[in-house]
Amino acid sequence: MPEGSASLNQLAVGDRVVYPNQGVCRVTAIDTKVVAGQSLVFVTMRREEDGAVVMVPEAKVVAIGVRKVANAEDVKSVFAFLRSDGDKADLDWKQRARTNLERMTQGGILGLAEVVKDLQILSELRPLPTKERELYDNARHLLVSEVAAALGTAEVNAEDAIDIVLFPPGRERPKRTAAEFARGEEDDLGLDGDLIGLDGDLDLPSDEEPPAEPAEEENSEEGSEDESEEKSSDEDAPKKRGRPPKAKPAEAEGAEPAAPKKRGRPPKPKPEAPPAGAEPAAPKKRGRPPKAKPPEAEGAEPAAPKKRGRPPKAKPAEGGED
Amino acid sequence: MIRIVTLDPFDDKPLAKLKSTLYTAFGVGSEHSGSAEIPPGLGEPLDAEKLLDQVKGIRAYQDDKVLLLTSRKLKERELPSGVAPTPGFARQGKDRAVITLQPHKDLETSFKPVARHALHQLGHLWELHHCLDPRCSMYPPWTPSFNSGEPIFCTFCREKSEQKIRLAKS
Repeated sequence: MPEGSASLNQLAVGDRVVYPNQGVCRVTAIDTKVVAGQSLVFVTMRREEDGAVVMVPEAKVVAIGVRKVANAEDVKSVFAFLRSDGDKADLDWKQRARTNLERMTQGGILGLAEVVKDLQILSELRPLPTKERELYDNARHLLVSEVAAALGTAEVNAEDAIDIVLFPPGRERPKRTAAEFARGEEDDLGLDGDLIGLDGDLDLPSDEEPPAEPAEEENSEEGSEDESEEKSSDEDAPKKRGRPPKAKPAEAEGAEPAAPKKRGRPPKPKPEAPPAGAEPAAPKKRGRPPKAKPPEAEGAEPAAPKKRGRPPKAKPAEGGED
Repeated sequence: MIRIVTLDPFDDKPLAKLKSTLYTAFGVGSEHSGSAEIPPGLGEPLDAEKLLDQVKGIRAYQDDKVLLLTSRKLKERELPSGVAPTPGFARQGKDRAVITLQPHKDLETSFKPVARHALHQLGHLWELHHCLDPRCSMYPPWTPSFNSGEPIFCTFCREKSEQKIRLAKS
């Protein structure tokens, strides 16, 4: 149940209430209307700011979050909250947006104050994005109008009363650092866990070597027995999804530390070593192999280089036609 | 239209500059509409709320905003959370605001802070709230850095004031 809605058992015409995200309204009528064959009791409210009218079925008044205007004691507690050095805003924008939305609709006057203070503190770290700047302005507007209604004063005095607490006279706002917003052991963006669901849901190939590779190949590639032992022990254990654990320290004392694991495609197996005394094979050239040369007779002149272009026309035999 | 009404004598040259600054900031016409007298019975420091209610002899149309300019000190306001320094005063969404030159001596030498206060109070008349940006004129006016800034709005406040002015015209 929204904060402050418990006292809404009986609404009467003339009561001042707060409609979430709309502001201070006055109940102008409570009457029965027939809608789609159903007889419903509607509470009609008029927004004090601009006179906009809204009608709400009586059964939904509490569920929507309509509440009575805060009193002077509530405003005192709001000032005390604004003075205190409370929690810092969440740096995860999704979480922050969710929390602020809930505070705006269900949090009562204290929820509005929380939104204003959180975003103000966040703005001391970095400028607010447009949407949050708008949210800040809305929350401030609703807070100012409710404080003014609760204290029976002008809005400008209510706003100055709030801002004297938030911006104490003669003092500049402090510059914040991201470290101040860090919460316990969590990292700043909260991306270490399974937040974005990449680790668990996608069947990405792990960095481990494929288990079906023959043992000879492994030996020829890596040349270390330790690693093959590790692999065999890994194969026995149930295969874990996600990121593999970090490299463990050397298990056996005196054993050489295993070479760091290379990523990517494993290198091709090397050909067997040639017998001793044989000449090393010439390095293989890439590309098209050269054409086989025609056998030339010894002493013959080398053929003239082939000319490019169209072959010359054959000359007609002289006097051959007549 | 923004109408500047002086409650004390001022030079014409800085007043013309103030008009130009207000026109640049809000995009609406601005003029010096003469002077008015401080209501009798209001001693110094002046009570800003009473001054706005009681000052007479100002002619303006319905959508006009009137800026009263005085060189006398305004009384600080007692609020539930403390005492608010009052270099100016305006009721949100209404049509009259007042600013003082105090603690500065004259308008010419202290033009920037006075113009910034003028923008701030006129912004309240167009329902702007206090801003988070220290460079914006809607930043709380009792902060130490306020007087050193330029008489301009941040993007958010400028767009909001333009929107309010458009709505008022239509």
